[in-house]
Amino acid sequence: MGRPVSRRHSIAEAAHGGRGLSASVMLAGDPRRRRKEARVRGFLFAAAAATVLVGVAIVLALIGEAWNFVTQVEFSKLWSLGWFPRRDFFDVRTIVLGTIIIAGIAMVVATPLGLGAAIYLSEYASPRTRRILKPIVEILAGIPSVVLGYFALTWISPNVVQRLFTANTFNMAAAGIGVGVLVTPLVAAVTEDALRAVPVSLREASYGLGARRGETVRKVVLPAAVSGIVAALILGVSRAIGETMVVAMAAGATGGSLLQLNPLEPGQTMTAAMTALAIGSDQVAGSGLAFQSLFFVGLLLFAMTLILNVIGDRFVRRVREKY
Amino acid sequence: MTADTTTPTRIAVAAKLQGRRVGWGESAFQLATLIGLLLSLGVLVALLADIVAGAWSVVTTRGADFVSTPISLSADTAGVLNGIIGSVLLTIVVAVVAIPLGIAAAVYLEEYAADTRPTRFIQTNVRNLAGVPSIVYGLLGLGVIVRLVTALGAGGSANGRNIIAGGLTLAVLVLPIVVITTSEALRAVPAGIREAAYGVGATQWEVTRHQVLPAALPAILTGTVLTLARAFGETAPLLLVGAATGFFATGGQGLMEQLSGTYTALPVVVYSWSRQPDGAFRDELAPAAILVLLVLLLAANAAAIIIRNRSERKW
Amino acid sequence: MRNRPVLFVVALAVVAAACGGSDGDSGDSGSSGIRISGSSTVEPISATNAQKFNSANPDVAISVEGPGTGDGFKLFCAGDTDISDASRPIKDSEAEACADAGVDYVELMVAIDGLSVVTSTENSAVECLGNEDLYALLGPESIGFDSWSDADALGAELGATHAPYPAAELTVTGPGEESGTYDSFVELVLEDIADERDEDAVTRPDYVASANDNVIVEGIAGSPTSLGWVGYAFYINNADRLRAIAVEGDAGCVAPTPETIADGSYPIARPLYIYVNTAKAAANPAIVDYVDFYLSDDGLASVDETGYVRLADYSSTRSAWAGR
Repeated sequence: MGRPVSRRHSIAEAAHGGRGLSASVMLAGDPRRRRKEARVRGFLFAAAAATVLVGVAIVLALIGEAWNFVTQVEFSKLWSLGWFPRRDFFDVRTIVLGTIIIAGIAMVVATPLGLGAAIYLSEYASPRTRRILKPIVEILAGIPSVVLGYFALTWISPNVVQRLFTANTFNMAAAGIGVGVLVTPLVAAVTEDALRAVPVSLREASYGLGARRGETVRKVVLPAAVSGIVAALILGVSRAIGETMVVAMAAGATGGSLLQLNPLEPGQTMTAAMTALAIGSDQVAGSGLAFQSLFFVGLLLFAMTLILNVIGDRFVRRVREKY
Repeated sequence: MTADTTTPTRIAVAAKLQGRRVGWGESAFQLATLIGLLLSLGVLVALLADIVAGAWSVVTTRGADFVSTPISLSADTAGVLNGIIGSVLLTIVVAVVAIPLGIAAAVYLEEYAADTRPTRFIQTNVRNLAGVPSIVYGLLGLGVIVRLVTALGAGGSANGRNIIAGGLTLAVLVLPIVVITTSEALRAVPAGIREAAYGVGATQWEVTRHQVLPAALPAILTGTVLTLARAFGETAPLLLVGAATGFFATGGQGLMEQLSGTYTALPVVVYSWSRQPDGAFRDELAPAAILVLLVLLLAANAAAIIIRNRSERKW
Repeated sequence: MRNRPVLFVVALAVVAAACGGSDGDSGDSGSSGIRISGSSTVEPISATNAQKFNSANPDVAISVEGPGTGDGFKLFCAGDTDISDASRPIKDSEAEACADAGVDYVELMVAIDGLSVVTSTENSAVECLGNEDLYALLGPESIGFDSWSDADALGAELGATHAPYPAAELTVTGPGEESGTYDSFVELVLEDIADERDEDAVTRPDYVASANDNVIVEGIAGSPTSLGWVGYAFYINNADRLRAIAVEGDAGCVAPTPETIADGSYPIARPLYIYVNTAKAAANPAIVDYVDFYLSDDGLASVDETGYVRLADYSSTRSAWAGR
């Protein structure tokens, strides 16, 4: 991200012997202009620094209360029975496994849909088709998660899950599919970026050798874009883990939940556990273990998504650097 | 690097030279990708059909009345007015806070900052913030912003769980997205424009203000509108920052009292109605509220597309 | 084209400045709104009254939430709300919290609710249960009972009259600990037996506990051998999907109806309350007006409208309010 900046300014830098203030010193010797430059620069820097402040504030807010939780909770309560924060049972397994199950189902849905859509749009579709269909996929990306939550509860659950299996109205499978639909446009967008980053020359070389389009896609373009595709899937998982409303609305167990591994039953994820707590008792800030557990779970979630995002970002940049 | 790119090519060449025929697998693969695409679109169609079908009776019997009446306990008279007002006020707070701040930060990062370690740290930080789940921002709102708003005396009758706190929480949530989209827009402005301006003796701020920002404005505007749409549809953080899920009436409150009082937002209305066991709320009013939400978001998206198309430029 | 962007930025700045300005102007003008929170069982009565009150007094801002009795008292004793709905009397610990925070209140009994033990309409095997049965199926010693018949031994030990139970899956859904309905169930059904047996007076933890009404209805209606408990109004408003199990008391098996709840023959009926912060009421006439309306005939009609049962006599409630 940083490198192109310096490259772009290289001529200006060479001409003025530097950037920013030094450039204005050379060209704009008038002290008033110089002072203004400094003020503007200071303001802009403050704005950029504010974004760091936000990051710091998140981490501090989470760590403060999470630390109170960790120091006060009995550790055996973190590993028994289920997630019943109001009764001081904080079985982390319940919500972490629930999160993993739902994210897993989501990726089972989002991987074929997202990759398929991206590969078809980027490699097979005629420009005309692409021009029409791509914005539609983008519309899907703009649908708020509360809408997909409603859809998962009132349509996916009865028309897909309950039609195929005997399942509770509220079940993790419907929530997982709903999250998958939500993640699909993200997977498609990142994958398509990666496919488009593969130079045309590679494709042309392949065609030149007499390879058909299908062969070129499968044996040249996809292998060349593989790190971008990996990035798409990792970022998709990260998004799926952090999704709240779909799970809170469609997965059921809102207050507390036993360890539940059957996706056809109601389940609890980290995010849904947090909303359930926050809508209930913990409107009163700063009281009790249940309130603090909210921040503990938040920190856990933050750490998980951060790690995935950093890894995903690595892969994205590998694509960029390669071509 | 070179080995990477030529290996697949070599395999393809080898396959060709060996004279292997393209099997049915090729067309099956293309078909599979097409099915993936069609399923994605099919979901969208099913979703819209489900929503419209559910909302139909409300749309036909209530019409515009539905958007102009406030929340009510009886399904016959309940409307989404409070939700729309709340969402619009929240979005204004987001626009006022996040857009100037985000654009300024992006201008600093793209135009001013040297490619140093601190700059790269800020950039990484912004990218990672964009990936933080929205509910975590809700925790930030609950743990920090609500208290801050109360401490600053803007807590009002809702004790800090008000539109100001909700709007600030959403502003912080979209800030990294504003920075990223603005950065992309600035990066798309060709270096030649800057160099020409420097060449006639403009200071860096003059270059930025009179050349770079105007050139990047359509793209920035598009990104901004989409970002505000995202804030408009956000639910989870607002639940943590105390958006009302029950009955409330705003009474004869002035603007400031509304900003600092009990509030709700359109997506929160959808959420609380869909939790009702009462069929009319869950099966008819909730989809009608969703329809209103989608129409508003679609309008925002259309606006963004129009801005983009009208000002599309090739350098 | 060249000037428009600048105009836009200026416009943005003006909007920002205007908003900033108006913040300063209006400042703090003592809010006259009414904030009500607490029991989700009482919420329908208070919300219906809020709506009626609002149509007569459109200038008064009013909000009613239902996070649960316990949560409501937390807010109430922190001074965050003006009125707290409760489906049980205030606990000593909560009263202490209120006293510590200097919150004085008046307790007003407003209605009676019959705690309803419910199952799916498809369940025809179980007609009636006594406290011992409920203790065996839902009490603290029932952890891990996945089938009704798992409770047979415990039921027999307790002398439960309706044991043994069918060998069918037992799925339990009910309100969580934030709820006064939970507390009432513990108090009216489980507490005496638990005390005798030296157990904590709690329910089994392993059930789907939810503050989401829809989840409770779906949970109970969704399985033919479900078991749960809810407030009477909640049951009667969803009677097409839920069936109330009769509860055995001194007078035998009694099903909850407005009559049996009102005359006390239904064994697990309980009063519902609102708690009013007296200092806030003194400072805010709107609160007084609202409570006056609540206790008027129009206001009390909401009790019937929402499916609860009126007290036989409101004179002590009214005199408590008058003597605040």
